[in-house]
Amino acid sequence: MMPKSYNYNPYSSPSDAVKAELSEIDASIRSAAIFFVISAIGWLMLGTIFALLAAVKSHSPDFAGAYEFLTFGRVRSAHLNSMALGWASNIIFAVGLWIMARLCRAPIQHKGILLIAGIFWNIGLTVGVFGILGGDMTSVEWLEIPRYATPLLAFSYTLIGVWGVIAFRFRKGDHVYVSQWYILAALFWFPWLYVVAQVMIIWFPVRGVVQSVTNWWFAHNVLGLWFTPMALATAYYLIPKVLGRPIYSYYLSVLGFWSLAIFYNWAGIHHLIGGPIPVWLISAGIVASVMMVIPVIVVGINHHMSILGMHKQVWRSPTLRFVVFGAISYTLVSLIGSSMALRTVNEITHFTHFTVGHAHHGVYAFFTMIMFGGVYYMMPRLLKCEWPSAGLIKIHFWGCAIGITIMVVALQVGGWIQGMEMKNAEIPFLEIVQNTIPWLKARSVSGIFLTAGHCAFALNLFWMLFAAGALRAKEGPTLLVNKEKVNSIV
Amino acid sequence: MDAESYTDLVPLIFIAVVFFTVAVGALYWSSKRGQLRDFDKQARTIFTDEEPEGEVSDSFPEKK
Repeated sequence: MMPKSYNYNPYSSPSDAVKAELSEIDASIRSAAIFFVISAIGWLMLGTIFALLAAVKSHSPDFAGAYEFLTFGRVRSAHLNSMALGWASNIIFAVGLWIMARLCRAPIQHKGILLIAGIFWNIGLTVGVFGILGGDMTSVEWLEIPRYATPLLAFSYTLIGVWGVIAFRFRKGDHVYVSQWYILAALFWFPWLYVVAQVMIIWFPVRGVVQSVTNWWFAHNVLGLWFTPMALATAYYLIPKVLGRPIYSYYLSVLGFWSLAIFYNWAGIHHLIGGPIPVWLISAGIVASVMMVIPVIVVGINHHMSILGMHKQVWRSPTLRFVVFGAISYTLVSLIGSSMALRTVNEITHFTHFTVGHAHHGVYAFFTMIMFGGVYYMMPRLLKCEWPSAGLIKIHFWGCAIGITIMVVALQVGGWIQGMEMKNAEIPFLEIVQNTIPWLKARSVSGIFLTAGHCAFALNLFWMLFAAGALRAKEGPTLLVNKEKVNSIV
Repeated sequence: MDAESYTDLVPLIFIAVVFFTVAVGALYWSSKRGQLRDFDKQARTIFTDEEPEGEVSDSFPEKK
């Protein structure tokens, strides 16, 4: 037994003043979280349309080419920003802040501010994406949003991020769980990245190649210090939570967090291998990229050992199907990424579709799949009702799992062949370009699977939101878990 | 406005120092407050009376 004065767990605390009910916390964040989920899905669907357009255009350039705003350059950037700042960041605000509130055991205060900040974030983004389509985009990858929209984004982010910090400040209990570390750190890292990149590239541009160094430091860290920690926080919360068994080694999870914090921010420079920047800078980036093997292996072992012997329960849980798919992808994509940072490998993969495949492997197969899992766990608890259709969840899972697998395999195999051919001076460049076409067509096919998955997800969610009341009234209050069934397999 | 020299970036360098200090401070704080001890107990803080340890809390919705 723990001494009373140093109680780690306020949920089970005998004192009512300290005790906080999960359902009460869920209720306090309901309106804001649902707003963010709806926005995220809106951006996901829009980003999917842009993605399909860009994918088809890459092998059939004449497709929908009659309109300026549908040209490849604009549609591709609109896709990137819709997904990175629209889908990914909105779903982070929903799932990440919800987990933060639960772990802080503090019902949220001033939820109106959170909601208003969220509305401004989405307005800023809408203006930005329209600006991109309208031809106002900057020429900087990952920072394409025109400068008239970015201050609004930065401002509304601040309000949202500060809210997470406030929740942490008023937490109950002494212990900070590893997910809170990840979320809190990411809430600090993202504004730092965004503001520095905006200042040094857009507002007060530094000279020459320093811009490109800043650019890739930023772009890679959006993945490494914003998406990754949020997805890992979700996995570290949901895997033990759903299985009802603590994480295999809490020690390893802390080690994983601090080693990620130390190494990841250096890694982005590997995008400039062979570029006209100081060699020591590139070498430092390569070393950091390879050092990332430590947190990745640590997290991979920890997650694997945590589900060992409970594979059936994982498969029976919609949440964990997605989360575990994402966790496995994290190990794979990160190890591939570390090897891609080696100069000899990079000679082949640089400037090919291999990199595009790698980016989707990370942001989609890892991050997005885990966030889908988070939504499957969060929504029933916020709305106090069950998902209406198990079939749609399965379509969602298989559509996304098959789609992203086809995409990553096609782009990486095709990209590797492309890289090998480009190293051979005897093959004409145009022939190499033509050889990529079958692989690019495979990517368009993968887009159809992904679109089917996203449609099933959106349908299930809106069904739940707008028809759930009717369902509930008819059948009485639903249990979130069919306990007999679960007990029979345990 | 273009940044002409390193001195134009002094404010950013200053922010960088602040961020670095915060990170080191966080590590120091966590060690001081016992966050890096008693790992077995700490891993259990996510379970509650409503969602207790030893119970699988998610499965596919059943057909009625």
